[in-house]
Amino acid sequence: MTATGVHLEGVTKSFGAVDVIGGVDMQIGKGEFAVFVGPSGCGKSTLLRMIAGLEDTTSGSIHIGARDVTHEDPAKREVAMVFQSYALYPHLSVFENMAFSLRLARRPRKEVEEKVNRAAGILQLTDHLHKKPAQLSGGQRQRVAIGRAIVRAPEVFLFDEPLSNLDAELRVQMRLELARLHKALGTTMIYVTHDQVEAMTLADKIFVLKSGMVQQAGAPLDLYDDPVNRFVAGFIGSPGMNFLEATVSAHDTDGIRARPKGQPDLDLSVPITSRPAIDSAISLGMRPEHLTLTDGPGLQVTVDVAEELGGISYQYGALQDGSPVIFQQVGARHGLRGTVQNLLPEPGRIFAFDAGGQRVR
Amino acid sequence: MTAKRARNLAFAALVLIAAMIWIFPLYWALTTSLRTEGRIVSDSAGVLLDEINLAAYREVLSTSKLARWYANSIGTSLTITGIVLLFGMMCAYALSQLRFPGRRLLYLLIVGSFMVPVPALYVAQFVLMSDLGLINRAWGIILPQLIVPVVVIVYKQFFDAIPKEMREAVLLDGGGEFTLLFKLYLPLNWGITAALAIITFISAWNNFFWPFLVATSEDMMTIPVGITQVNDSFGVAYARMMALALLAAAPVILAYLVFQKRVTEAVMISAGVKG
Repeated sequence: MTATGVHLEGVTKSFGAVDVIGGVDMQIGKGEFAVFVGPSGCGKSTLLRMIAGLEDTTSGSIHIGARDVTHEDPAKREVAMVFQSYALYPHLSVFENMAFSLRLARRPRKEVEEKVNRAAGILQLTDHLHKKPAQLSGGQRQRVAIGRAIVRAPEVFLFDEPLSNLDAELRVQMRLELARLHKALGTTMIYVTHDQVEAMTLADKIFVLKSGMVQQAGAPLDLYDDPVNRFVAGFIGSPGMNFLEATVSAHDTDGIRARPKGQPDLDLSVPITSRPAIDSAISLGMRPEHLTLTDGPGLQVTVDVAEELGGISYQYGALQDGSPVIFQQVGARHGLRGTVQNLLPEPGRIFAFDAGGQRVR
Repeated sequence: MTAKRARNLAFAALVLIAAMIWIFPLYWALTTSLRTEGRIVSDSAGVLLDEINLAAYREVLSTSKLARWYANSIGTSLTITGIVLLFGMMCAYALSQLRFPGRRLLYLLIVGSFMVPVPALYVAQFVLMSDLGLINRAWGIILPQLIVPVVVIVYKQFFDAIPKEMREAVLLDGGGEFTLLFKLYLPLNWGITAALAIITFISAWNNFFWPFLVATSEDMMTIPVGITQVNDSFGVAYARMMALALLAAAPVILAYLVFQKRVTEAVMISAGVKG
């Protein structure tokens, strides 16, 4: 048993006959910023609440540091949580909200003032300490919620989609502030989000969850560059990866050649070491930035929508059989909407997945 | 004059007449209390307030046990209000926030207790109080009045509406159930607590029949019961009785004037619950 960070072993959670978390093992190093990401209902919030002690653990064990906290009360786990709805106490001032846990622990007045003022200083809330939560903006309320967590000096910070209630601009700003806060405090943080951009930008380590199981864990770019299955490949990255159904047409020294459905004249080179049977079905995955325009033969895409973002643009279209395709252009100024374009993936940038969605390497 | 204006005027007149009908008994009590006993029963006593004579008040204040009855009323009403709110709040908290076997059944029983008319319990309660030796005791007046299901139901509804995350934040901050109730749920519901306190107090203060049954000794009577004691050898002393009734009502009227908004709110909420 490691004496650092947070360690989960065989953790399950059932509500009656329904298993929401099915045997999760994870290791989060001390001081690491871990992000649980996944679609709605994947169990990421439940898992976080189990670490917090707000949900019982059906089986398995949860360790924080060297302590087994599986059946500890939430307050004794030395974790602090920031909720999506902030969960501030509306009848108390900002100061009293932040001091609440210290007052319950009957800490001396001087210590309470010192800790609250220090946290308020870090979060630029000093001028708002006397205000009630209702008098604050969304971003300020979220800061108070974070401040309430800071004063407890927990071993682990838990964030449950803390930025979801903020507008886009504020979300970006708070995201940066959280990254700085993590750097300044150096405390282990676990962060739940369904927004993969937040996951990519904040995390030291991402855990991608689906149906209560960890699909893949690792550094953001490792997940991006080397997904273990089609779900992770599609979930990480924005816009998402393109998937084309194909059949294996030949084997060669660099890998295989695959023929996308509805493109009889096109054989794409897929660099894998295994050799699936000729004519077997596989899925090909290509990221939007790895598709380039070509004058020669390629995937014929009719572009119907273009999102021009200035520096880059995303072109949305479909193959002849209707499969959707997104590709990215950098610095382009010529509108492609309504045109038919030929696209080829960059060599070596095609992922292959079997019928069960697992990566074929 | 437009039709709309005429309709408004007719409506205003109707409301005024209704208000006058409602206020008349109070006005009549005031007029009667300011007259001499003889004048009240004479033919010359009209509807108009044409005499201000404080003899009845002086008489009541000097000869009756008004101070004692006031003290009894204040004591029992405050005790009832305090206990009803405290226990109602704790009961509602348990029903709203704790998970235990029989919770739903318990709540249904409390809701179901609305169906039982209070007077149907008088005999059983009287026998019980008598067996407990509480006739002519303050607790005999208080105990049966502690059953106020509407307080539990109203509190439960308000507690149910408090977001789960706030409760969880307190648990993470190291609070237990008492911290939750007294530092979160109660402070978030001061408004409804004040409203419930006022209606419980007023209803305890105004309660006549039960204290009338239990308090037979003059020293144990509350004010509404005390009013019945104001007779003289020639029969009912109307002026004194009305003076006493007005003095009895004074604290409630005062409370109503001060907390008018809260009282209205409380009546609306409890009426909504009682449906």
